[in-house]
Amino acid sequence: MKEQDAKAVNAHQVVLYVERADDSYGPVQTGSYLAQEFIDDFFLKREHYRLECLRKLEAGEVSAVWFYLQTLGLAEADLAARVGASRRAVRRHLTPKGFGEIDLRLAARYAEVFGVPVANLFQTIAARDELVELMQERTANPLLTKTRVGVAAPGTSVGAGAGAGAGDAEAGKPEAGR
Amino acid sequence: MSAPFTHKMAAHCESGAVTALLKNAGMDVTESLVFGVSGAIFFGYLSVPMLPFPTIALRNKPGRIRLKTPTRLGVKMHTQNFRDPAAGMRALDELIGRGIPVGVQVDYFYMDYLPEYTRAHFNAHYIIVTGKKDGRYQLSDTYFPMLSSIDEATMRTARFARGQFAPKGLLFYPETIPERPDLKAAVRKGIKDAVFYMTKVPIPFFGVRGIRFFARKVQEWPKLTRDIEHLSHEVMMIAVILEERGTGGGGFRYLYATFLQEAAKILGDAAVAEVAKEMMVNGDRWRDVSIAAARMGKRRDLGPQKLHELGEMILERAEAEQQIFRRLGALVK
Repeated sequence: MKEQDAKAVNAHQVVLYVERADDSYGPVQTGSYLAQEFIDDFFLKREHYRLECLRKLEAGEVSAVWFYLQTLGLAEADLAARVGASRRAVRRHLTPKGFGEIDLRLAARYAEVFGVPVANLFQTIAARDELVELMQERTANPLLTKTRVGVAAPGTSVGAGAGAGAGDAEAGKPEAGR
Repeated sequence: MSAPFTHKMAAHCESGAVTALLKNAGMDVTESLVFGVSGAIFFGYLSVPMLPFPTIALRNKPGRIRLKTPTRLGVKMHTQNFRDPAAGMRALDELIGRGIPVGVQVDYFYMDYLPEYTRAHFNAHYIIVTGKKDGRYQLSDTYFPMLSSIDEATMRTARFARGQFAPKGLLFYPETIPERPDLKAAVRKGIKDAVFYMTKVPIPFFGVRGIRFFARKVQEWPKLTRDIEHLSHEVMMIAVILEERGTGGGGFRYLYATFLQEAAKILGDAAVAEVAKEMMVNGDRWRDVSIAAARMGKRRDLGPQKLHELGEMILERAEAEQQIFRRLGALVK
């Protein structure tokens, strides 16, 4: 790839290896072409699928474990290895009935893998107004999450509006990495 | 407390981290040399229970660059795993307290400074911890433009995540580096490894045979997906994996071409430089595959004929790589 062909303007930076004008090859830091051209479509599909999964969750067809498994794109076997449970047990926890039998310790392990507070396995959070901002914060108590509700200045809302729920990016983000 | 360290982005996390640590210790190496010397170029079509959908691998097993590079360049690399997370965190603190930048293996998902949409569980991400300030670890991640940081609890979770390629608290740093590494021997070994894994490994979904396997299998993907949007997503992921998951573009082929250009100088062999040019062109054709896949996905133009055309483009890469690696093999015999 010629150096001039590698240039893309995007905040998502990557390093590409290119052919320079003097025929030497080497790295160049540039914006992501894929993020520049295709990220909107990625977000659109992701949101469609999230809402479909959320509908199933709220209809009682599936558990929160299934919801996060699907929206994070994990395999059952991978999730089982990550939480230290058998695949059979994980499969059971994908249903509301099976999920109702798990203990808090296992729920906490699931939440850690999903990068959300434990509380989010038992609730969906939705704001009626797009200007409402939701922030979940870690506390010293591992099973307790503080949810802050604020009102954003007009034009700065980040989308915690109607329809947001379990797995909502803004609600889950501050807790990622618990 | 923090260690003197110059942060620089790199194409790939593992080759980038190893390169940065060696450079920091005074060794004059490039990322492409590290990648090539470790024989990291690869192709594999993976369809296993640990993955939610079939995928492709374009470099060999995670950890191999970290292991092979020091061995071949004569570097003594201190490497340590931990069963006890508390002991692992203490050891890390102690090393950075002594001013030593330390490479650690982590689960990529917990690197919360990276764009949210890129974050996925992958246990073999490599970063360099350079210090600790106000309870946060200062770190250099080659996928991020500047030095970053994560809190202690997140670092612990990321270093001790369970599952495939579990990091088990792995940390590493160079203890001694040789004054004059035998670059010729290292380069030859690296190329021989690449030739073996691309043309001789007797597994139908690895190497050049794996590219052919992928060309056939991608046409069957509609059977594996739930709807057109899912198929679109998975086809577009081909482009993401080839171009942006730390490959340097063209599925690591540009990075490998750069290595071959350096190898030609080290070996004093103009024929290797010619193969480097062919590899660069091969990278361009892989990028064509990426762009075609991304456009097909975005337009939802995913009928059997279009997937067949994509399969044909991939098949052409198999034929080209067979020629390239055979020629390369003959040059380092």
